[in-house]
Amino acid sequence: MPSLSTEANRQSDVPLAGLYIHVPFCSAICPYCDFAVLVGGHEQRRHFVDSLLLEIALYADLELSGLGPVCFDTIYLGGGTPSMLTPDDLGRIFDALRRTVDLTADAKISLEANPEDVTSASLQAWRRLGVATLSLGVQSFDGDELRVLGRRHSPEDAIRSIKQAVAAGFDSVSVDLIFGLPDQDTSTLRRNLEQAVALAPDHISSYELEIHPRTTFGKQHARGELHELPEGQQAELFLLTHRVLAEAGYPAYEVSNFARHPRYRSQHNQKYWRHVPYVGLGPSAHSFDGQQRWWNERHLAKWQRQIEAGHRPVAGRERLSTQDLALETLMLSLRTVAGLDLSSFEARFDFDLVAHNRALVEQLDREGLLRLHDNLLAPTLEGFAVADGLAAGFSLQGLGRQAVRSTSRSIDKRLDRQV
Amino acid sequence: MDTIRNFCIIAHIDHGKSTLADRLIQRCGGVHDRDFRDQILDSMDIERERGITIKSNTITLPYEAQDGKTYSLNLIDTPGHVDFSHEVRRSLMSCEGALLLIDASQGVEAQTMANLYLALEYDLEIIPVINKIDLPSADVERVREEIDSELGLDPFEVVLCSAKTGVGIDDVLEAVVQKLPAPVGDPNAPTKALLFDAQYDIYRGVVMLVRVREGSLRKGQELFMMHSKKRYTVEELGHLLLERVAGKELGTGTVGYIIAGVKSVQDIAIGDTITDFDQPASEPLPGYKEAKPVVFSSMYPVSSDDYEDLVKGLDKLHLNDASLTYEKDSSAALGFGFRCGFLGLLHLEVVQERLEREHGLSLLLSAPSVRYEIVLKTGEEVAIDNPSLLPDPTEIETSAEPYIKAAVMMPERYIGTVMELCRERRGENTAFTYLTPGRVELTSEMPLAEVLFDFYDRLKTVTQGYGSFDYDMLDYRITDLVKVDILVNQERVDALSQLVHRDKARARALHYCERLEETIPRQQFKIPIQGVIGGTVIARTTINAFRKDVTAKCYGGDISRKRKLIEKQKEGKKRMKMVGSVEIPQEAFLAVLKSDAGK
Ligand SMILES: Nc1nc2c(ncn2[C@@H]2O[C@H](COP(=O)(O)OP(=O)(O)OP(=O)(O)O)[C@@H](O)[C@H]2O)c(=O)[nH]1
Ligand code: SF4
Ligand SMILES: [Mg+2]
Repeated sequence: MPSLSTEANRQSDVPLAGLYIHVPFCSAICPYCDFAVLVGGHEQRRHFVDSLLLEIALYADLELSGLGPVCFDTIYLGGGTPSMLTPDDLGRIFDALRRTVDLTADAKISLEANPEDVTSASLQAWRRLGVATLSLGVQSFDGDELRVLGRRHSPEDAIRSIKQAVAAGFDSVSVDLIFGLPDQDTSTLRRNLEQAVALAPDHISSYELEIHPRTTFGKQHARGELHELPEGQQAELFLLTHRVLAEAGYPAYEVSNFARHPRYRSQHNQKYWRHVPYVGLGPSAHSFDGQQRWWNERHLAKWQRQIEAGHRPVAGRERLSTQDLALETLMLSLRTVAGLDLSSFEARFDFDLVAHNRALVEQLDREGLLRLHDNLLAPTLEGFAVADGLAAGFSLQGLGRQAVRSTSRSIDKRLDRQV
Repeated sequence: MDTIRNFCIIAHIDHGKSTLADRLIQRCGGVHDRDFRDQILDSMDIERERGITIKSNTITLPYEAQDGKTYSLNLIDTPGHVDFSHEVRRSLMSCEGALLLIDASQGVEAQTMANLYLALEYDLEIIPVINKIDLPSADVERVREEIDSELGLDPFEVVLCSAKTGVGIDDVLEAVVQKLPAPVGDPNAPTKALLFDAQYDIYRGVVMLVRVREGSLRKGQELFMMHSKKRYTVEELGHLLLERVAGKELGTGTVGYIIAGVKSVQDIAIGDTITDFDQPASEPLPGYKEAKPVVFSSMYPVSSDDYEDLVKGLDKLHLNDASLTYEKDSSAALGFGFRCGFLGLLHLEVVQERLEREHGLSLLLSAPSVRYEIVLKTGEEVAIDNPSLLPDPTEIETSAEPYIKAAVMMPERYIGTVMELCRERRGENTAFTYLTPGRVELTSEMPLAEVLFDFYDRLKTVTQGYGSFDYDMLDYRITDLVKVDILVNQERVDALSQLVHRDKARARALHYCERLEETIPRQQFKIPIQGVIGGTVIARTTINAFRKDVTAKCYGGDISRKRKLIEKQKEGKKRMKMVGSVEIPQEAFLAVLKSDAGK
């Protein structure tokens, strides 16, 4: 397998960052989808790749590749449906990256694919291009559910695509599922999970269906045509998912993510949760350098116009305060099995979280929602189910009087001046 | 002196006093058109917003009458709400006459009656005025009949007007000059002036409003306050137009203001007699008793950092409002605050709102309480208005609570439901009399504590708005008092403790528990809420825990969006108070004070 790495400028002390590429195309738009996506033709997709190459070059111009304080060890193509890009276009992207930015020798590429795009030819092409992890947007194995979700594949497509992918020799194959459809009960969910497990992928993501206002589902919901699953049932399905998957050998490592072995956990996604720097390319993609977060124009045309005019397509940015960083750390950690490492939290923010929230921690422990041991504050399964509330419950009053001990430097100081 | 008329406008709430004042001011050219706004005398934000008058306002107007003479009219607009009847009293003291306004569609109501009696107490000449005759529902003949039979005033003396359209305003003014007496008094006697009101001006300190009875007041004069025995020098005096207009002298019979280096309204006593230090009058004018607070509640800042601002805010309000009392208090649940005394619940609301609005504070209030008189086994007597200070029940010999005499006026058909309401509220000696065929006045001796909570709202509901209410303090009566504590998640929230009659304890406790259940947001764990007397649980509710409260996905790198959602969740908690590990929102403290009937 060809290596993506340029290796030349690799320095051992720079943080290993993640690179995300948003491919905004789908063959049709699912009624629940809230991502920046559109149905585009061949031409539009090619044009998008051209622009993307320019965006990559913009980072090169800003001296990112040569001296950049970061080196990427994960590349994630998400969307949208990256599997709609031709192998040829994917090749152009990887070539450009290799030429332009620092990659480690073993940088891992992940690609999201929809079952209907999976053929033996496409699998071979992706393998050849160096894709290590294939993430399949299966969502369900139930024909009715797939129809409700507006998916373009059948249960048979789903099963076939997983079987073929597993056999194709990727480092790992992941299956994405959705639960919590308006009329879902425990038995349909259980069947879905059991089917997924039977096909032996390395990783499973199981996301709860969320109804966002601007989507078709959102509008139907507003008109009263679609109802959300009652909270009690949501909780039941959530807990069932975790129990079934854990029993089948897929313990959760995050609220919605399950792996057969720790080595199959998503290296790339974990960066988001750990405040590791990442750069996002493509419409709506977010980037983070440890202090600042910025995001690209959401609309393809706007994003493209900026790039073609030679500007970074950045739509907005924010500098995170110490408070912001602490809250994010808290909220993200409480979504993971590992939980929050209190000593590193205190070292980083100069704030003793437990001392400031003693009564709450004791109560949550009594209620079986959080466990405090070995200086770790870790959610239980029931705690996972209410992780947002847990994070919001903690008081961070008094935090942030001292400056943060920064974990990484700004990727690009000039960004500030540019936009 | 015979061209001076001192009068006030009195009426039931909302019968149009301030609007009539507007018309009179405009008619006399007291305001430029461009400066005019409705209810111009209601200058406080809170008055304007709620459309009610809280403080009396005085203004002097020149009026050229039909007899060709120019009169000087001192007009005082008064509040209608019973909480502020002390303001009416003060105003009456300085006048020879009063316009008693009656809404042409509402007719005579409880405060019409109460204010009339007050005015008669001060020997004032009364002109009944039927206002709002422009209303389609106006029934002038019926109201005229009520004035005759219910108020005992001459129906042929009635002046008709519409303060809204301006119809009849000239008639009102002519009646004022023709029917109200001019002031009397000896201009050559030693100075004798009545201090009837005071305002606080941040630049000038206390501005005293005075009515000169005898002699005169001059700039530079050395004054002596006959009651408080203090001595001041007149720095400035003059008349009150929309602004103060300084002059040299205030003659016998006039109303005006004096600035004399008084720092705080606490230093003076309304009703005091002002005289000349060197040539004092021999006798003071009859005194006036300040209204005493009857309702007590503790106020705490939601954020303990705001304590200092609360101190400043109360000090400042107090400068202008001598009836507000406050002293330091502290709560285990809510930290440091103040125990405050008010004239009624509206007064409490007004103080709270002004503190919040004018000082940017966010406040929590404990359950309002009346003042109980407790006799201990040792024979010692104590007055208790704060539940946390109630002695141990085993040490108490007897408890007594304040009673009021409530008067309710209403059409006959509601008598049954109102009697029932009074019975529910532990009313005693409830009786009624027919005012006219079809209209009754009911009186009942009721514990003040029973009218504090939503009595007025309930009355409005059961009488479909046709009942009006007034009360006077009566006496103290022996009662069976218990202290109800509220436990949230097993922790006692002392600010929610309350003193109630034993028969009412369970219902009140349940009401509190239910309101808290509705207003405390669900948390990650189950929260029991209990009402207890001593160790006995008498009411309980439970707030169920969240079972699912987590978003599925942290969208790619868009952590900011997720953080903002959580920040929003946290933001909501800013106006909450942490009690143990439960956050209680400010609304919860307010909600428990609201009506049981609102459900
Ligand atoms: N139609 C009509 N409405 C009137 C008239 N006079 C007053 N109002 C209205 O009645 C309401 C109460 O008027 P106010 O002048 O504030 O009454 P008030 O007696 O000063 O009230 P308080 O100070 O709260 O006791 C307002 O909405 C006025 O616009 C009138 O002659 N005709
Ligand atoms: S396939 Fe995925 S990205 Fe595309 S529309 Fe459906 S949910 Fe959205
Ligand atoms: Mg008014």
